[in-house]
Amino acid sequence: MTDLLVKNAYVIDPLSGIRGEIMDIAIRDGKIVEDTGSGAPVIDAGGCLTFPGGIDSHSHVCGTKVNFGRYMSPEDMRAGRTARKGVMRVTSGYSVPTTFGNSYRYSTMGYTTVLEGAMAPLEARHTHEEFTATPHQDMLANTLFDGNWAIMEAVRDKDVKRAAAIVAWTLDAVKGFAIKLTNPGGTEAWGWGKDVHSVRDEVPYFGVTPAEIIETMIRANELLNLPHSVHIHCNNLGVPGNYQTTLDTIDLAPDLNRNRQSLYLTHVQFHSYGGSTWRDISSKSEDIARAVNSRPQVAIDMGQIMFGRTTTMTADGPMEWKLYMLHHNKWSNHDVELETGSGIIPVYYGRKSLVNCVMWAIGLELALLINDPWQCMLATDNPNGAPFVKYPEIIALLMSSRYRDIERSAIDPRTEHYVPLFAIDRELDWYDIAVMTRAAQAKALGIERIGKGHLAEGAEADIAIYPLKPDELDPAADYQQVMAGFAKTRYTIKRGRVVARNGEVVVEGANSTIWSRADVPPEYDLNRDAEFVKKFEQYYTVRMRNYPVQDIYLPRGYFISTEASL
Amino acid sequence: MKIEDVVCTFCGCLCDDLVVEVENNRVCSVENGCTLANEKFMRDHRLKNPIRRDGNGWKAVSYDEAIRETAEILLDADRPLLYGWSGTHGEAQSVGVHLAELIGGVIDNTSTVCHGPSIMAIQEVGHPGCTLGQVKNRADVIVYWGANPIDAHPRHMSRYTTYADGFFIENAFRDRKVIVADVRQTESSAIADEFLKIDRGGDYAALSALRAIVRGKGDLIPSRVAGVTREQLFRVAEICMKAKFGAIFFGLGLTMSPGKYKNIRNAIELTQELNRHTKFTISPMRGHWNVYGSNEVFTWITGYPYAIDFARGIAFYNPGETTSVDILMRGECDACLVVASDPGAHFPRACAEHLARIPTVQIDPHVNATTHLATLQIPVAVTGIDAEGTAYRMDGVPIRARKLFTGSYPNDQEILEKIFARVKEAKRS
Amino acid sequence: MRVILNTGRTIRQGSYVERKTSADYMEEAASLNMNRMDMFELAVEDGNHIRVRSDHGEVVMKARAVEGLIRGQVFVCLGPYANHLVGPETHGTGMPDFKTTQVTLEPTTDPVPTIRELMERCGGVGYED
Repeated sequence: MTDLLVKNAYVIDPLSGIRGEIMDIAIRDGKIVEDTGSGAPVIDAGGCLTFPGGIDSHSHVCGTKVNFGRYMSPEDMRAGRTARKGVMRVTSGYSVPTTFGNSYRYSTMGYTTVLEGAMAPLEARHTHEEFTATPHQDMLANTLFDGNWAIMEAVRDKDVKRAAAIVAWTLDAVKGFAIKLTNPGGTEAWGWGKDVHSVRDEVPYFGVTPAEIIETMIRANELLNLPHSVHIHCNNLGVPGNYQTTLDTIDLAPDLNRNRQSLYLTHVQFHSYGGSTWRDISSKSEDIARAVNSRPQVAIDMGQIMFGRTTTMTADGPMEWKLYMLHHNKWSNHDVELETGSGIIPVYYGRKSLVNCVMWAIGLELALLINDPWQCMLATDNPNGAPFVKYPEIIALLMSSRYRDIERSAIDPRTEHYVPLFAIDRELDWYDIAVMTRAAQAKALGIERIGKGHLAEGAEADIAIYPLKPDELDPAADYQQVMAGFAKTRYTIKRGRVVARNGEVVVEGANSTIWSRADVPPEYDLNRDAEFVKKFEQYYTVRMRNYPVQDIYLPRGYFISTEASL
Repeated sequence: MKIEDVVCTFCGCLCDDLVVEVENNRVCSVENGCTLANEKFMRDHRLKNPIRRDGNGWKAVSYDEAIRETAEILLDADRPLLYGWSGTHGEAQSVGVHLAELIGGVIDNTSTVCHGPSIMAIQEVGHPGCTLGQVKNRADVIVYWGANPIDAHPRHMSRYTTYADGFFIENAFRDRKVIVADVRQTESSAIADEFLKIDRGGDYAALSALRAIVRGKGDLIPSRVAGVTREQLFRVAEICMKAKFGAIFFGLGLTMSPGKYKNIRNAIELTQELNRHTKFTISPMRGHWNVYGSNEVFTWITGYPYAIDFARGIAFYNPGETTSVDILMRGECDACLVVASDPGAHFPRACAEHLARIPTVQIDPHVNATTHLATLQIPVAVTGIDAEGTAYRMDGVPIRARKLFTGSYPNDQEILEKIFARVKEAKRS
Repeated sequence: MRVILNTGRTIRQGSYVERKTSADYMEEAASLNMNRMDMFELAVEDGNHIRVRSDHGEVVMKARAVEGLIRGQVFVCLGPYANHLVGPETHGTGMPDFKTTQVTLEPTTDPVPTIRELMERCGGVGYED
C-alpha cells in the first residue's frame, strides 16, 4: 500500500461539482480514497490551485508523421535541447520534441493524459512504440478512417452495421481509442492529387460524399457504444470561406448520446474563415459559436494559433500541399494505402501577417463566444497552431482582457476590422480553465468512467498543483503570474506518485495506453468475413495476420470494453 | 513445422509472406522468398560462442566475460563510437541509443554509408512519399533512378511495382510504364520502357533538365544532357506529366555519386514540381531490412536519424563531422561497439585500419570482415529466425519480425541491456 | 590502364553477405567486372588476376567480362576488396566517393588475397571459423 496525503489544496474539480474549496486529498495505491492511514507522506499544497491532471484531447506527439517532423527538421531539434539530468533523458526539439521531451514538458505543466490526434492503422505499431517512450502520460490514439476503402464501400452500400464492424475490427487490431475522420474523402482523393471541397463533393471512384461518411460513422460509433464520439477534422481546413463547410458538418450531427457530444470537431479555428481569398479572409467565429451554442450534440477544441515558429502536420495531405504552395518551404507527404494520407511543412506565424493575426483572434473568440466551456476545449492542435508549451499563454489571454489589449497593440493594426475579438469583454475564470483543460476532455472522451479528469473517490490520483493562490490573485491583472504558474506545477502527481516538482521531472514514469474494444456478435466479426479477408490480402502490402498490433506493444495496456448494439 | 506469413529480414522490402518450414531448430525450406531470402534462411552459419583476441590468436570466452569486458572498454573510452544497428530489431536499437547517451558516445547507423545523403536532402526540402501499397494500387508510371532492384531488392518489382497487380491497375505489366536511369546497364534497365543512360556524375544535370521541361522551360535544353538526348528527356517528362500516379524510387547511384545529397534534393524537387501537374511520389530504396527502423528509433529518442554525438550531454548532429567514416578517418574514437553490421567490409580501408587499432567489440551472429579487426565478438540470435522484434520497412510501415524457433543464442537486446546495466552500475558507484 | 571504379550491390554479393568466410563470397567480392575491349587491351581474360591501384591502396582482383559497362569503367560489388581502394574523404557529407574512384589496372600473377588477409593487412588478427 502506498499512501499520500495532499493537504490544504485549493481544489477545483468540475466533474465533482467542486468550484474552489480548501480540501485534503487522500491517495492510496494510485487512487483517490476517503482517508489514508496515519503516517502517510504529506504534501502541503499551501492553498495552491489544485486540478485533476490535465488532459489533452487533441495533440500530435507520437507516430509516423510526428517522427517524420523530427527527422526532417534538425533546425527544430536544435531549438530545444536539454542534457541528461537525474532521471531525465536527453531531449531535443521545440515544436516537435522527442518523445521524452514531450512527456517531460507536458508533465511539468500538469498534464497526465494525452490523446494522439491521428494514427494511421497500418502504422499503429509505430505510434504504440512511441507511446511507450512517452512515459509520464497515459496515451490514447485517434484512429484514422477518413479514406478507409472498406468503410467507403460500406457507406456506398448504406450499411451502417458493416461500417461498425469494420471500426470494431480495426480498433481491436490496432489498439485504437476512437474514430478519427481527417478531411473525410479528401485523403482518398489525394491519392490522385485531388481533394474534396464540400461535404457534398463525391470521392473519386467510390462515389460517396464526406457527408455520407460522417453520418454513417456517427451512427456506427453509437452502435458500438464507444466511449468517445466521432472526432472530426472537417473538410477544407485553412481555406478562406470554409466556415460554411464547418456549419454544414455541424448540421450533420444528430443528438444520439446522453452523456457526451455525438460529434467532436477539432481545431475549429482553422475551420472558421470567412472571405474568399487570403486577401479578404475574416473571422466567422460568431457564426460557428452560434451553431455550437444551439447544439449540445457537438463539442469542439479551439485549435488556437500562437505567434512564432512551429511545424504543421496532419493526415490531411492535400491541405499540406496547398500550404506548401503558399510557403514554398520544405514539404513532406506520406499517403497510407487504403486508409489515409499525411503531410508536414514548417510554418512561421507572424504578428505582421494579417492572415495570421486573424487566425490568432479566431481561436480566442471561439473560447470566449461559446457559452459553455464544456463545449470548447483548450488546445492548439499541437504543434499545428503552436507547441503545447504555449497553453499557459493562451490561458492568460482568455482570463485577461487587459492582456488581450496589450497584444492588440503588437499585431497588424488592420486586424480589428476583420475580427470581433476586441469587442469581447468576457474573462474566463479558474473554473472555466479547469473545465477547458481536463474536465471537459474527460467527459468528451468518455474516460471519466475510468477515473480520469476528476478527483472523486475511486478516481485515478492524477493531480496538478499549480503555484497559484486564487484568493490572492486577480488573473485579469496578474496575467504574467497566471502564465508562469500554469507553465510549471508545484507538483504533478500521476497515479498517486509525484512525477514532477517545480519544473523538474523526478521519476522515469510508467504510463498506460488506453484503447477501446467493442464486442460484436460473431456474424459481424470480420476475421470470418471471406470478402473482407480476400480484399485485404489482395490490396494491402502487409499480410492480414501481420497487421494487428501485438499485446507486447502495450506493456500497460488498458481497454474500455463495450457491447455493440448490432 | 510450417510457419506462414514469415517476415524476411534481409532487405528493406521486408516481405512478410514467406512460408518457412522449420525442423530441429533449422530452416529446411522457404517458399515465396527471393534468392537472398533463401540464402539467408537456408544457409545460416553462425559464430558458435563469444571470442576474444588473444595475442595473435583467438580464444573462446563466456558471455558473462564478454559482457563485462565490453562494459569495461566502453567505460574506459573517452570517445566511443557505437555503429551499425540496421540488422537488428528496434528494441535493441533503443537500448543502444540509451547506452550511447549514458556514456556520452557517438551513435551512428549504416545510413551513414547508404541513404545518409538522402536524409540530408530531406532535411533541406522534405519528402513527398507514400506507402508501397499506394504505388501498387495506383501507379501507372514507375521510375528507378540509380537503383537496381533486381539485384538489391529482388521482389520490389513483383510485390510493389512493375509486376504487381493493384486495385486500379488490373494488369500491371501492360498498364505501367517503367523508366530506369543509371550510369550502367543492369538487369533492371533491361526491362525498362525508357532507359536513361546517364554519363557518370551526370545525374544532377539530367534531373535539372527534367525539372526545366516540367516547369515549361524546355527551350533551354541543349541537344544532349549528361549523355541523354533532348528528345528522350522530353519523352520521359511527358510520360511523367501524363501519369495518373507516378512513383520515383532511387538508390545509391544518387547518394554515392558526385553531388551526393544535392542529387537527391534535385530528385525531390523534380517530384515536387511534378505534383503541380499530377500525383507523384519519391522514395529511397532502403537497403537493410531495418535501417529505416534505426532512423526512426534514433529520431524519436534523440531528434536525429543518425550520426548523433552525446559528448556534450545534449544530442548533437552534424553529418560530415559526427558520421562514422569521418570519425574513424580522423582517428578520433578510442573504442568502437559494432552491432549488426560489417564496417570492416563496407568502410574505406583507412577506417578499417583505425578499427584494428582501438578496442572494437562486435555483436553479430556471423563471422565477417570486422571479426578479424575486432578484439571481441559476441554472437547473438538472428532477428527473424531465432529472435523477434520490430522492423520498419523502407516506406515506414512497421512490422514485427517473427521468431521461428527458440535457439540457444541470446538476442541483441538482452546482450545490450546487460552491458547497459553494468555501465550504469559502474557510473553510479 | 586508368579507369574509374564503380561499386554497388549484386545479387550474388547479397546472397553470400552473411557468409563472408565462404569461397562464394570471395569469388564475387574480388571480381573486377570489365568491358571486353578494356580486357582485350590489357591482354587479360576472364579469371586472370589484375592489380588494382588507387591513391588509397592496392589489391589484386580477378577480371570478369560483363555486358553493360562502357569502356573506362570497372565495377566491383561493395565489399572489402573495393573498399581497399576507396578513399575515406566525405567532403563533409559523411559519404565517401564509393562510385568514382580513379584506379589503374595492371595484369599480375600474384594471388588474390582472402578477406582475412585483407583485414590482417589493416592491422587485424585473422580468425579461423
